[in-house]
Amino acid sequence: MTGGVVIGGWEYVWAAYGITFGALAAYGVSLWMRVRKEARAAREEQG
Amino acid sequence: MAVVVFGATALLLLSFAVGPNATALRQLAGGFLWVALLFSSTLALAESFRAETEQKALEGLLLLPTTPVALFYAKALANWLQLLLVGMGLLPVLVILYDPDLARLPEICGILALGSAGLSAPGTLYAGMASQVRAQQVLLPLLLFPLVVPVLLAAVKASSLLLLGDPMGQVGSWALLLLTFNGIFWPLCGLLFGAVIEE
Amino acid sequence: MGLDLLPRPNPRGPRIGLALIAIAVVLLAIGSYIGLFRAPPEHYMGEVQRIMYVHVPTAWNAMLALTVAFVCALVFLFKPSWKWDARLEAALEVGVILAFLLCVQGSIWAKPTWGVWWDWDPRLTTTAVMLAAFLGILALRRFVEDPIKRATWSAVGTIVAFADVPIVYFSVRWWNSLHQTQSTPETVDSAMVLPLRINAFGVLFLMVGFLMLRSWLAQRRLAQELAPPPETSRPSTSEERSLASTLELGGDAR
Repeated sequence: MTGGVVIGGWEYVWAAYGITFGALAAYGVSLWMRVRKEARAAREEQG
Repeated sequence: MAVVVFGATALLLLSFAVGPNATALRQLAGGFLWVALLFSSTLALAESFRAETEQKALEGLLLLPTTPVALFYAKALANWLQLLLVGMGLLPVLVILYDPDLARLPEICGILALGSAGLSAPGTLYAGMASQVRAQQVLLPLLLFPLVVPVLLAAVKASSLLLLGDPMGQVGSWALLLLTFNGIFWPLCGLLFGAVIEE
Repeated sequence: MGLDLLPRPNPRGPRIGLALIAIAVVLLAIGSYIGLFRAPPEHYMGEVQRIMYVHVPTAWNAMLALTVAFVCALVFLFKPSWKWDARLEAALEVGVILAFLLCVQGSIWAKPTWGVWWDWDPRLTTTAVMLAAFLGILALRRFVEDPIKRATWSAVGTIVAFADVPIVYFSVRWWNSLHQTQSTPETVDSAMVLPLRINAFGVLFLMVGFLMLRSWLAQRRLAQELAPPPETSRPSTSEERSLASTLELGGDAR
């Protein structure tokens, strides 16, 4: 343990935020597209 | 016992990863013993249900006047015994390849007993599941290995302390951890086994 | 038996889920803005500490999602119904995603702080083990074709894995304490509480929104699997025929 101060490190912050929100956004978008497809199929079933 | 040969081969291959470095081998003996035993357990556990799957005997067993719970404990105890014997069978191989100090042999066997029990209870439960589907060789280790991490940590730590020296007397605490794991999972897995094999 | 009835997903589910997600996006935008640009840097860790504003909310919600999975598994075993299997599947998937992100964030945090990508912190190591365990259950669901077995076995696996969490945590913590103790800082400056809370609620709303969408999808897929619509011209397998004959169609499935 250096006992000092960590200088800078913004690239790590961006990486963490970027990966987190990117993955969550990708999952959300994929979910929403699947829901839309299913909802359309459900509407067609009821005709 | 093909399983012991498999475990011995695993110990041999693992020693190659270290090389002819006597000190390092002695340090790692405890850890490698349990890794080899863990790998061997997937074979042994899968075997324990092979008769049922090959001859569709699972339905037949269920017709017997025993509860699924009793069936679980019968199989789990048998698996425990088998794993314990495999572990003890691996000790001579360990001595030859890794040159550990076996002064505390009885306690080492005790840890082998506790650790094998920890592998056997959830292992029997998951083997019951895996034996009923096609991808059983992948499924059993996939489910079992993350679950038995505490068993592995405790058994490796305890074995290493027994083989290398335990100046602060910590083995007992690790043994207690193993006992706790067994105390939780032997009842739990028995309870849940019924849900796993009912048709 | 509850499994005779086909699942009937609530048609309003997706809309509520989407609304929650929209609120979540707003909250996360505000919270992250404050955390990244307004909150003061921490004394020793500097800017890297700002990772906490996503890391801690992810941790809380990962644990919450897996606890939800555990509850769904329990409910399913006591009162079987396809609704709870669908919710279990959703909670497992969302929990696994959050746990995975937790490990990635923890790794990114560890590198500038400790100089290594992994510092065997007990909480993070437990998360990694649990990630493996619950991923295994998701894999189990793909390998099992019979829906009833799949549901029952996932419930069993989830209960066993969840029961293991405290044991894994204590064993890793103890195993690690024999070396140096390196843990993520707990104390939070008062100026940092606000963005943390906003983001925590943001991720919570996001998680619940995801759960609602995903379990709606799971219920739809289950309904189709259990009683495929007759318009499909392909001949049903013997498994589907036997399943269909043991099921009674529930209510307004079509």
